[in-house]
Amino acid sequence: MTASDIILYAHPTFGVLGIMASLWVFVEALNASEANGRRIVIGSYIVAGCLLLTGMFAGWWYTELYGHFEQPVILKGPWPWAHSFFMETKEHLFFIPLILALYLPFVARINLFKNTRARAMVMVVTALIILNGLAIEGAGAIINGGVKVAFIHTGA
Amino acid sequence: MDIQAKSTFAVSERALPDAGGREAAIERTAAAFGLSAAVTVLFNTVLAWVKDAYPPLNSLMAAATGHHWRTHGIIDVVVFFLLGYFFLTQGRTTKITDRLVIGVAAAAVIAGGGLAAWFFLV
Repeated sequence: MTASDIILYAHPTFGVLGIMASLWVFVEALNASEANGRRIVIGSYIVAGCLLLTGMFAGWWYTELYGHFEQPVILKGPWPWAHSFFMETKEHLFFIPLILALYLPFVARINLFKNTRARAMVMVVTALIILNGLAIEGAGAIINGGVKVAFIHTGA
Repeated sequence: MDIQAKSTFAVSERALPDAGGREAAIERTAAAFGLSAAVTVLFNTVLAWVKDAYPPLNSLMAAATGHHWRTHGIIDVVVFFLLGYFFLTQGRTTKITDRLVIGVAAAAVIAGGGLAAWFFLV
């Protein structure tokens, strides 16, 4: 396993950890009380940290390797839309959960058990991160499939 | 006992306005940056559309940092923090309202749908 393989697998790993942390914050916000305020804040920073690391690893992979190795293979294979639709959408869609994740610690610091609108905001933001994250993970699987079917198709 | 009770009351009386002020300041910041997040996710989609439709901009962004995606991400993050700071100093958005919560949700859905529609159709 090379360093580029580790980086390739690190980005969806931190993405999944970010999704799981978002789910944790969502459930904590749903049951907001005086006792779990600190956990909500800690969880929100973990979400932001995981999404930042995902962006850094994914960005390195995408800008340094993907365009040279995977993209040409996908475009010559039977699933060119794995790049033209799924990768093109995914690479820009990622910035939405990233911005929401950076916003989350700002709103998670409010006493959510006293402020129902702030609680709703935390739940909406974390739900959007979860849904966007799952869509992006699914798109990643399709892009991976695009490479595999291209290799199968060409017999490489 | 009486002195102790008075002392406790005095401390809590002093602490309450401070705690309330701090809470209001946190909410004011969260509201400003919430509005900024809604605007930034929409800006992200518009930038992706314009960049994809106008190759010179894509080339300019690629030349700035070595890759258009890297520049796009940096611009998004800078816009988020600058707009948040701007809205905070303007002081127009001071509370998290139902409209702001719906606005953030709607912006994210419209922005995501706009990206998917663009790359599906173009």
